[in-house]
Amino acid sequence: MKRNNIFFKVFNEESILIQWNDKVDINLIDSIISYKNLIEQELSEILIECVQSINSMMVIYNSNKINSEDLINTLENLYSLDLKVGETEKKIWKIPVCYDLSFGIDLEDLSTSNSISIDEIIKLHNSLTYNVLSMGFLPGFLYLGMNDKKLYCERKDKPKLNIKSGSVGIARDQTGIYPQDSPGGWRIIGRSPISFFNVDDKSPCFAKPGDKIKFQNISLSEFNQIEINKSSYKIKYEVI
Amino acid sequence: MIKVIKEGLFSTIQDSGRFGYKNIGIPVSGAMDQASAKLANLLLGNDERSAVLEMTLLGPTLEFMNDTYISITGADMNPVLNKQKILLNKTLLINKGDILCLSHSTNGMRSYLGVKGGFNSETKLGSKSFYRGITKREKLIKNDKIKFDQAISSPKTVNKNINDFKINRKGDIKVFKGPEFDLLDTYSKDIIFNTDFTIGINNRMGYNLVEPIKNSISSIISSPVMPGTVQLTPSGKIIILCRDCQTTGGYPRILQLDKNSINCLSQKTIGEIINFKLV
Repeated sequence: MKRNNIFFKVFNEESILIQWNDKVDINLIDSIISYKNLIEQELSEILIECVQSINSMMVIYNSNKINSEDLINTLENLYSLDLKVGETEKKIWKIPVCYDLSFGIDLEDLSTSNSISIDEIIKLHNSLTYNVLSMGFLPGFLYLGMNDKKLYCERKDKPKLNIKSGSVGIARDQTGIYPQDSPGGWRIIGRSPISFFNVDDKSPCFAKPGDKIKFQNISLSEFNQIEINKSSYKIKYEVI
Repeated sequence: MIKVIKEGLFSTIQDSGRFGYKNIGIPVSGAMDQASAKLANLLLGNDERSAVLEMTLLGPTLEFMNDTYISITGADMNPVLNKQKILLNKTLLINKGDILCLSHSTNGMRSYLGVKGGFNSETKLGSKSFYRGITKREKLIKNDKIKFDQAISSPKTVNKNINDFKINRKGDIKVFKGPEFDLLDTYSKDIIFNTDFTIGINNRMGYNLVEPIKNSISSIISSPVMPGTVQLTPSGKIIILCRDCQTTGGYPRILQLDKNSINCLSQKTIGEIINFKLV
C-alpha cells in the first residue's frame, strides 16, 4: 500500500508534530492509529506519550534520551516500513439514547433550521454507524463522524453553561457525547443514561479511536430504568 | 497531616503531571510553575516530581498535625510561622501544632509549599494533581486534611544551586513558531513580535491577552495542543494555554512557548506586560 505523505514539525523541546494533509476519512484514522501503535511498540524507551487526532499526531518524548533530528529520522524510517502491529480488536458499541424533548433541548430548533422533522432526525441519527475519530475536550469526550448532510449545523455562538452528563450533541458533520456536566456549544438532541468515563476503571473509557458507535432510540421509561442501574449496565457491542 | 484553617483563594495539590492519558482527553495538569515546585522538593531532598501545594494570589492558613520539614518557593506570600516571619527558598523545621499563615502575594502569582517526603493525597491515573472529574477535590477547602509521610531524618544538603531555579520575571516569553504560524499574513507575523501584550483574565487552563491581532486564518481540524500553545481565535484574541488545558483544539496554533517561559508566565498576573521572542 502506498503511504500518504506526512510532515514533521518540531513543536517544542520535547514534542514532534506529525501532520497528514489528506482529506479526513476513516482510512486515514486507521492509518494514524496503526502508526501510533508501531511508535508505542518500537520507541517505548524514549516515548512519553503519543496524542492522536483526526489528521495529526503529537509525539512527546524524553529529550534527555534523543534529539529531535534523530527522532524525526527514526519516525520517518518507521513510517516507511508500514508495519501492522498491535492490532487490537475493534468493536461496534450500541449506545442507548433517549430523544425526549426534555433531553433533546435543541431538537426543535434543529428541526426548524434544517427543515427536517424530529422523527426524521432521530431516524437518521439511529441509522448511521459512527466512527470514533478521536477523544479530547473533556476526559472521555468522543468525537464521532460523520453526520448525514441533513443534520449539518454550526456550533452555538454562545456555549450553554450546563450541558448534562450523557448529552448527545451535533456540531458540523460530527456527533459528540458529553461524559460529564460541562459548558458546551454543541446542539443537544438527546441523552444517554450510561456513563462514559469512570476514573477508577483500569481503562476509564470503554470506546477508543477506531471503534464504531451505533445509537439506539429508547423511551423515557427505558432511560429511567437504565439510569437507576447505571453502575451494573453492560454496554452491548459486536466485534468487527 | 496538615489541616486547612483558612482556605485562601485557590490552593491545589500538584505534582509533575498526569502522563499517558491525553489520548482520552485528560489534561497533563501539574504545578503551573514547575521550576518553583521542583525547587521546593529539592530543598527537602525529595524526588523533584513529588506533590506540593500550589497557592494562588492569596494563600491559606494551615496547621501541622505532625513534625516535619517544609520549604516555600515561588511568589512571596509573606509566610508567617507562629506569628514569626519566615524566608522563602529555605528548609524549615516544623513542630506539631505549628500554624503557617500565607497572605497576599507581593511578587508573582503562585507560591509552592513543599513538605518532607511530599504530600500524600489520593493518586488518580498516576498523579496526585487536582483536576475536576479526576480527583475528588478540585481545590482545598476549610477543614480539609492532607496527609504526608512522617519525616524520619532531616533533609540532606541540596547540592543544586538554587539560583538556577529563580525565574527572571522581567524576561521575554520565548517561543517556537506554531504549526499555523506561516498562515499569518506578513503584517501579523511582524506585529506579534513587536507588541506589548497585556495579561488579561487567566487561570490554570489558560491566559487571555488583552490586545487582539488581525486573524486571517480560518479554524483548523481539531488537533493536539499542549501547555504553552498560543491560539488565535476567530475574533483575533490570543490565548496561551496552560497546564489544565484541553488536549486538542480547533483554533490556529500560532506560537508555542518554551518550557521555562510557561513557568515564567505562570507567575504573571492580570495587567502585566509580556513580549514574545523567537527561541
